[in-house]
Amino acid sequence: MKHTASWILWLVLSLTLTLTTRNPFYLSFQILSLLLLGVYIAKQKHHAFWLSQNIRFLLTMLVISSLVNALFTHTGSTTLINLPDHWILVGGSITLESLIYGQINGLIIGAIFVAFNIINLALSIRQLTHLIPGALRPIAMTVTITLTFLPSIQQRAQEIKEAQLIRGNQMKKIRDWLPLLLPLLISSLENAISLSESMTSRGFETQSTGKITRLTLVSLILATFIIFSAWVLSLFDYPGFIILPLYAIGGGLVAVTFISASRKLRTTHFKKETWSKKDALSSGIFITTIIGTIILHQLGMLPTFYYSPYPGLSLPGLSLSGFLVISVLLFPMLVGKNDSI
Amino acid sequence: MNNINLEITPASLTLVTGSSGSGKSTLLKCINGLVPHFSGGSISGEIEVFNHDPIEEGPKGLVKTVSYVFQEPESQFVYDIVEDEIAFSLENFGISRDEMVKRIDLVLNKMGLSDIKGKKISHLSGGEKQKVAIASALVNQPRVLILDEPTSQLDPFTADALLNYIIFLKSKMDLTVLISEHRLERLLPYSDVIIHLTPQGEIISGPTQSVLHEMEQVPPIIKIARMLNVDPYPLTPKEFPNSHEMAYNEKSKATFDLIPSLQTPVLECRNVSTSINGKPILKRINFRLAKGEILVVHGPNGSGKTTLSRTLVGLQSSEGQIFLHGQDTKLLGTEDMVKEIGYLPQNPGDLLFAETVLDEIKITMNNHQLKYHEADLIEFLAQFGLNEKLTEYPRDLSVGERQRTALAAITVHRPNIIILDEPTRGMDYQNKSSLSKILTLWRDEGRSICLITHDVEFGAMLADRVLLLEEGEISFDGLPNIAYTKFPRYRTQTSLIFPNQNWITPGDISQIS
Repeated sequence: MKHTASWILWLVLSLTLTLTTRNPFYLSFQILSLLLLGVYIAKQKHHAFWLSQNIRFLLTMLVISSLVNALFTHTGSTTLINLPDHWILVGGSITLESLIYGQINGLIIGAIFVAFNIINLALSIRQLTHLIPGALRPIAMTVTITLTFLPSIQQRAQEIKEAQLIRGNQMKKIRDWLPLLLPLLISSLENAISLSESMTSRGFETQSTGKITRLTLVSLILATFIIFSAWVLSLFDYPGFIILPLYAIGGGLVAVTFISASRKLRTTHFKKETWSKKDALSSGIFITTIIGTIILHQLGMLPTFYYSPYPGLSLPGLSLSGFLVISVLLFPMLVGKNDSI
Repeated sequence: MNNINLEITPASLTLVTGSSGSGKSTLLKCINGLVPHFSGGSISGEIEVFNHDPIEEGPKGLVKTVSYVFQEPESQFVYDIVEDEIAFSLENFGISRDEMVKRIDLVLNKMGLSDIKGKKISHLSGGEKQKVAIASALVNQPRVLILDEPTSQLDPFTADALLNYIIFLKSKMDLTVLISEHRLERLLPYSDVIIHLTPQGEIISGPTQSVLHEMEQVPPIIKIARMLNVDPYPLTPKEFPNSHEMAYNEKSKATFDLIPSLQTPVLECRNVSTSINGKPILKRINFRLAKGEILVVHGPNGSGKTTLSRTLVGLQSSEGQIFLHGQDTKLLGTEDMVKEIGYLPQNPGDLLFAETVLDEIKITMNNHQLKYHEADLIEFLAQFGLNEKLTEYPRDLSVGERQRTALAAITVHRPNIIILDEPTRGMDYQNKSSLSKILTLWRDEGRSICLITHDVEFGAMLADRVLLLEEGEISFDGLPNIAYTKFPRYRTQTSLIFPNQNWITPGDISQIS
């Protein structure tokens, strides 16, 4: 599986699953699956340390989020400790329930983080920026350049640090590190100027940079309004069959507007992605799972997905189908080698 | 620049020379409209490039006619992958995908880049990067190709290969080529026209021979021709009349009694190895630097020259032992090593960040916690010809002045050992000769200098001893008159002209005759 679209669908599926469940067992299972998939891809990309970096982040997230929730939310029936009441905000009982609730939040943030990390691993910078519609090419280019520049800025920082050492700077106190900033800033600016000079002389300005037409503007405003009203309605607990179509219409309008605006540009792309059977198959499965999960969730037919530790702790329900749905995320491993650059 | 009149014939090769800061880049950028459209400033007069008017149309109007390759390839890359980078301008022109693939394949093949087309640019060597930059320019199929110091970062071997390739393209594709370059010796045989910008802002242009007669600073081969009254000037050593060889054959061979005493090495490596990301760079190097000598280190790109210098000052971790004045340096950090060793890295720009030149050297003194009188510092700067630039912003100075400021900043605390990594990058003959004066002076004071350079002619002028590095190993360690005569890659022009002598610089000839 290597098509950008398949991977984006995969991401949407992962996010859908993460956001529809609050069952800690499902979430943990999802994170495990994601880590497994991540290690699988990281190995192909010769990316060492991927697992350790992600686990480090996950653990930090779990600790912070459970501590914050436990300290600031004082509901729940199983009291662990009582902090003096006059302590601002944290004063009161620290309950097991709020600790668990915080942990669930940590798992959700963690699952989202790991899913995005996998996308980062699976897709190249170029594939990612191609997701930005052609009408916004200057933005897409800026993003590309920023992402390409990050490693080089790191290297520059190292060189400048060495230059400081050479000048006898001990680099031990914070004050010693200040001289690093200025040269880094200056040299980044100098680089930016030479890059833009190079881009100018290579025809970046030749294409009309897409003057926004009135129609584009109107449809974008309309789309924003639709999406915003869907969100407002969801705050008032309107049923899904009203809200979801609104989101779909708004999103569709944005897509159509950008696609039609991009058509007017004369730029072409050197790399074109082709759909393989594997891509088509996996995309189909992802879409079905996404739609299925959302509909079932809206109809209340996924009882084991709901869970809340409040008011008193209980064991969350589990079902085989829940695990099966989550394991769809491992599908990219089934269809085999990820050979995109 | 003021009142310049020039005419360049199509499909010719023009060499643009002149001291640093004389406006070579500015002149070249007028051709594709970057000056004044990108740079700002004012311009008057007329320019015509293949029926285009750069002043009127700007860079936009000339992108398909003129391709420009900038001085530093690293700072002009947009994408991270080689073929994406080459495709950039074609994407901008909206060229169809089929046509794009065809053109890119053609350029990749011609330039021998097919094997690396999927590679990350950051993983390439300096020579490969330069080639990618040129490929991205050629893929537009321009009529004019402008190269701004294309070989300044390349070893002589890679530079020659690249220049030969440009010459080949020129004849094959009817390209009009303009190259700005400091080291003229390589390009003279190929250039049809020279445009020479004098420091006074005047311009001398015309056929190669006639301009050479008017230039003050010339490469060694022309110096020798002037010395021996050969006219017209031979442009390659092969063109030199053999009679001169005969005339000097009788004289005793030049003797060099400069064999440095290695009894007291000030800096020594024993079995030093380093590797970067698991790749071995230096392999069990034994290296000695004696008191009061200039040691010149040559080697192709990627042979480990820079790594060696970084290892010596402790910026690069290594196995084996390094001794400074006979003491093992294992426990010393870079900040301790630099008290005794002045180290000038490849990019001197990194060193400079103060408001003024004077502040720059004060910072070094403060870092080393040394007391100073301002008058002494000003006197010190006078050595470098910087006494009139005390209050100027270092980054606004010319390349040569900036280099000297950096050099002053690392030597103001009077270290006894000085290591220089490619100090002549982007320097003209004038700047080089003032640098060589400083280095000779220091050597005569008894300091030790290790000079790493690609510039064979510059090395030959200064070397007491030469070290050749080849794939992380020392392949030669000995006298300059052997190094610069016996190794084809490192032969100087003088040695090529007089193959039976030990002469390596024009200076050697005048000494004997």
